[in-house]
Amino acid sequence: MLEYLLSFLILAGALFTFVGSLGLARLRDFYTRLHGPTKASTLGVGCLLIASALFFSTRSEGISLHEVLVTLFLFITAPISAHLLAKAALHLGLTSLAPPPEDKPRR
Amino acid sequence: MNLFFAVLTPFLGAVLVAWASRFGRSHAAWAAGGVALTALAWLSPLLSQPFAGTTVVQRLEWMPSVGLDLVFRLDGLGLLFAGLILGIGLLVILYARYYLSERDSMGRLYAYLLLFMGSMLGVVLSENLIQLLIFWELTSLSSFLLIAYWREREMARMGARMALAITGAGGLALLGGILLLGEITGSYELSVILASGDLIRGHSLYLPTLILVLLGAFTKSAQFPFHFWLPHAMAAPTPVSAYLHSATMVKAGVFLLARLFPALSGTPEWSWLVGGAGLCTLLLGAVVALFKHDLKGLLAYSTISHLGLITLLFGIATPMAVVAGVFHIINHAIFKASLFMAAGIIDHETGTRDMRRMQGLWQFMPFTATLAMVAAASMAGVPLFNGFLSKEMLFVEASEMASQQSFGWLLPVTVTVAGIFAVAYSLRFIHDVFFGGKPLELPRTPHEPPRWMKVPVEVLVLLCLVVGLFPAQTVAPLLAVAAASTLQTALPEYNLAIWHGFNPALWMSVTALVGGVLLYLVRRPFSLLHDRFEGQLDARRLYNALLQGLMVIARRITALLDVGSLQRMVFVFIGFALLLGWMGWSGDRSVLTGSRPLLPVDAMSLLVTAVLTVISVAVVILHRQRFTALVLVGFVGLVVSLIFVKFSAPDLALTQLLVEVVTVVLLLLALYFLPQHSPVESHPLRRSRDGLLALLVGGGVGALAWAVLTRPHSSIGDFFLANSVSGGGGSNVVNVILVDFRGFDTLGEITVLALAGLAVYALLEKLHISGPSQNADGRDWNWDLHPVIMASFTRLLLPLALLVSVFILLRGHNLPGGGFIAGLVTAVALIMQYLANGVAWTHSRLSANMHPVVGVGLLIATLTGLGSFVFGYPFLTSTFGHMKWPLVGDFELASAMAFDLGVYLVVVGATLLILIHLGLMHGKEPVRGKGGH
Amino acid sequence: MLTVALSIAFVLVGAAVVLSAWRLLRGPSAPDRILALDTLYINAIALLVLLGIHLGSALYFEAALLIAMMGFVGTVALCKYLLRGDIIE
Repeated sequence: MLEYLLSFLILAGALFTFVGSLGLARLRDFYTRLHGPTKASTLGVGCLLIASALFFSTRSEGISLHEVLVTLFLFITAPISAHLLAKAALHLGLTSLAPPPEDKPRR
Repeated sequence: MNLFFAVLTPFLGAVLVAWASRFGRSHAAWAAGGVALTALAWLSPLLSQPFAGTTVVQRLEWMPSVGLDLVFRLDGLGLLFAGLILGIGLLVILYARYYLSERDSMGRLYAYLLLFMGSMLGVVLSENLIQLLIFWELTSLSSFLLIAYWREREMARMGARMALAITGAGGLALLGGILLLGEITGSYELSVILASGDLIRGHSLYLPTLILVLLGAFTKSAQFPFHFWLPHAMAAPTPVSAYLHSATMVKAGVFLLARLFPALSGTPEWSWLVGGAGLCTLLLGAVVALFKHDLKGLLAYSTISHLGLITLLFGIATPMAVVAGVFHIINHAIFKASLFMAAGIIDHETGTRDMRRMQGLWQFMPFTATLAMVAAASMAGVPLFNGFLSKEMLFVEASEMASQQSFGWLLPVTVTVAGIFAVAYSLRFIHDVFFGGKPLELPRTPHEPPRWMKVPVEVLVLLCLVVGLFPAQTVAPLLAVAAASTLQTALPEYNLAIWHGFNPALWMSVTALVGGVLLYLVRRPFSLLHDRFEGQLDARRLYNALLQGLMVIARRITALLDVGSLQRMVFVFIGFALLLGWMGWSGDRSVLTGSRPLLPVDAMSLLVTAVLTVISVAVVILHRQRFTALVLVGFVGLVVSLIFVKFSAPDLALTQLLVEVVTVVLLLLALYFLPQHSPVESHPLRRSRDGLLALLVGGGVGALAWAVLTRPHSSIGDFFLANSVSGGGGSNVVNVILVDFRGFDTLGEITVLALAGLAVYALLEKLHISGPSQNADGRDWNWDLHPVIMASFTRLLLPLALLVSVFILLRGHNLPGGGFIAGLVTAVALIMQYLANGVAWTHSRLSANMHPVVGVGLLIATLTGLGSFVFGYPFLTSTFGHMKWPLVGDFELASAMAFDLGVYLVVVGATLLILIHLGLMHGKEPVRGKGGH
Repeated sequence: MLTVALSIAFVLVGAAVVLSAWRLLRGPSAPDRILALDTLYINAIALLVLLGIHLGSALYFEAALLIAMMGFVGTVALCKYLLRGDIIE
């Protein structure tokens, strides 16, 4: 039972990671490309980390918590990276398929 | 051990005094005096031994495996000199307290003075000649600092440089001489060398040895023709001159003559070289001294002359002459120190040292004048003062030599002429300064100096008198042991008395005294002649020409090799590497591939390596777009660390990851100030040449790696693997190597890191450059300094990151991690806050001052190392044990962990120090953006 | 079962690495390259996790942890440079 679950998680994780990179490589402007890695890849690695946590928790006594730390890191940092990248792209005025929003400075 | 501590005390004391000077000028003086007294106290239990005829030798094993020990020796000669160094040193410390003006740094002078004192003690108390040479060079270095004490003065810097150049060159020659002595006798220890005089004198290398040793002695003691540095060294503060140029530094040369006398003397070569140099110096110094208008200039040339006198006595080399030489060392130190101090008082009170401007100072400072007169009378060799006694002994020796050589009569005549001049310049020193009318427009109205400034002069002048009147009751025992240990044989019969009856020496003395007074009266025309030709017959001109020539040659060679092109230097460097590699390959006919079977290759490694190769090539192609190249390099670093993981080097992988990010931050900081695009400058032909070279080198290194990796190879690694747990108490071998097996290396490395951090800080602290206000495409920077999402979320990450670094630090001894990695993690975590929240926000929460962190880190690491001394183990021996903690369970505690904590702190401090100050380099120009502020 | 899944996963993640590297090379803009680098860091974590399960060893987690951290710091620094030029201010 556990092995099925693990296999499923690993396959799903790898697939999402792949899809994220596929999006990065294939989509047509930066703003759409940004979606791939920040969402799919993060989810993919999340799945893999859960798989790993399960795997090591069942193999030895005690719960493996390292993965939680990595996941926490990734889930906090991914939105920041994405936001900063989008901001940089807007700042540099990269061409967009959709009309870009106005970058309004705060008063 | 006492001797070792006596020598060590002044060196440690120098630091103490520099610190104590914060609390005031008198504190610095008390501290310095205390240090000198402490050194004396270390010596005091041994003082009686040389008088009992024993030579104290104390040995401290240093590197027994290569036969290097710290060996100290105390015999009569060493005792005499140690007494002079410490005794006059104490008086000089007292005197300097009142001499220096408010503007001058007290702590610096005393610190240098103590450094010099320690070096000098080292010279006179060394048993091993190599060790003696080390201290000898230290006296040159510390005297350089002392002479250049007023470093804002051109003359002081020039004088210091000249003294260092001459004495340093002499030190080099002396090193050669000492090595030859070691070669001849098979030992560097004085006990052996002094006992093998016949062996040395009979050896074919005797003459080169003698010349090299004498070069060292003559340069130090300002003997002709190397005398010219001493007058220029008078740019030093007067207490320094009183110390260095009367009793210590210049006496080191004659000390060496005395020390090696049993080993080297007794040949015609010795007599001609030493006696000749001494005679020339004696006469030259005495003549020039008469015509100097500068008070200290006169004393400087008089010192040269008296050093010549001592050298001449050692050159005559009869046992009685040696006794006279040692005696004159004592006498000259006493009267010349007091004269320098008197000259300093006059300078201090009148504001000038030019004897043409001052007259009749008697009415302003009669007491000082009296003191100076006694000392000057001693210098002139007037009966009843100590200088007379040793000079009379010289006259006796000279007159006895007259009958033994064909031109022997020249000796007493020359000596008498020098004596005439000595009387004349002593008379001038007194008469021109204190009598002869009213002073002319002095910068200040002179009066008697402060009470305690006179005390050192009084003590010395009293000694002049007491020794002069009652030699047998005062100085005789000390002279006897010092002379006996110089000769290393029984002493000759002699009688220290003022009156020896009507002998030739008496008539020479009378001639000198009467002739000197007459010469002084008719000196005017000679003086004019001297002024006219001054500076034309000067070895200094030769020295300057030589120096200039050397500079020109050095510049030519540099210009020939270095045309200021990095490409060319790299070309030469790589070319040589290729050449050496080719030579290595061509000499060996063995096959490239070794016998070791290859490991299986998996698809993933192949894939990652292929990607790495492609990206690396892309870096080369795209290197003109600096930002792009930097992003690509970031990827290369990532893959390299993955490869480290794959090949079971997790510590390396972690370090690589961290270093990678720190490098990216560093390069981005630099990129801000650099042009965004680098232009194409090189010719295609040249690029293809460089490409070829790169291929050859890459191929060569690849082949080398292949050859090494395919061969079975066992190294010291196996030892570490086997002993890590049993010897170091940790299962992470890399960490155990760093903090235990090679802990001393690590200590050195973190010291270098700390210094580098401080150096970067010192270089950048006051530097402000304004960066560009637009990016490469002419677009203004974004108005948003710290986007709020980034700023607030990054704060959340700080505790997580710190948790990780503590975790890595604690488990480092057994699993991948350790102080270095943990330090970098902490540094990166803090830099992250600077990036996301800005300098102002971070500095309001974390002190910007990283110096204490670096300092405490180094201190912890060093103290951990020193701790093992307490338990009687060598430096940095580590220990470990296990303890049960509640909740945590079994927890291993190794002393190496404290060391690792030190490493951690240094890494954090130095990294932050460097990066933050690079970041703060930009000017504070107003932010220009779309929105404006 | 698990071995098969792992093999497929390795292939997929490997392909992801290649695709991301292609974007890193191709650009065309600077944010594209930074995004590609960030993705490669995430891919590297995936690789290490897979390797850990494959070898049954927990030794790879510190590397994964640090990659997660360092990838973020690198991305932030590079973006900050594009936005402001001066990254520590």
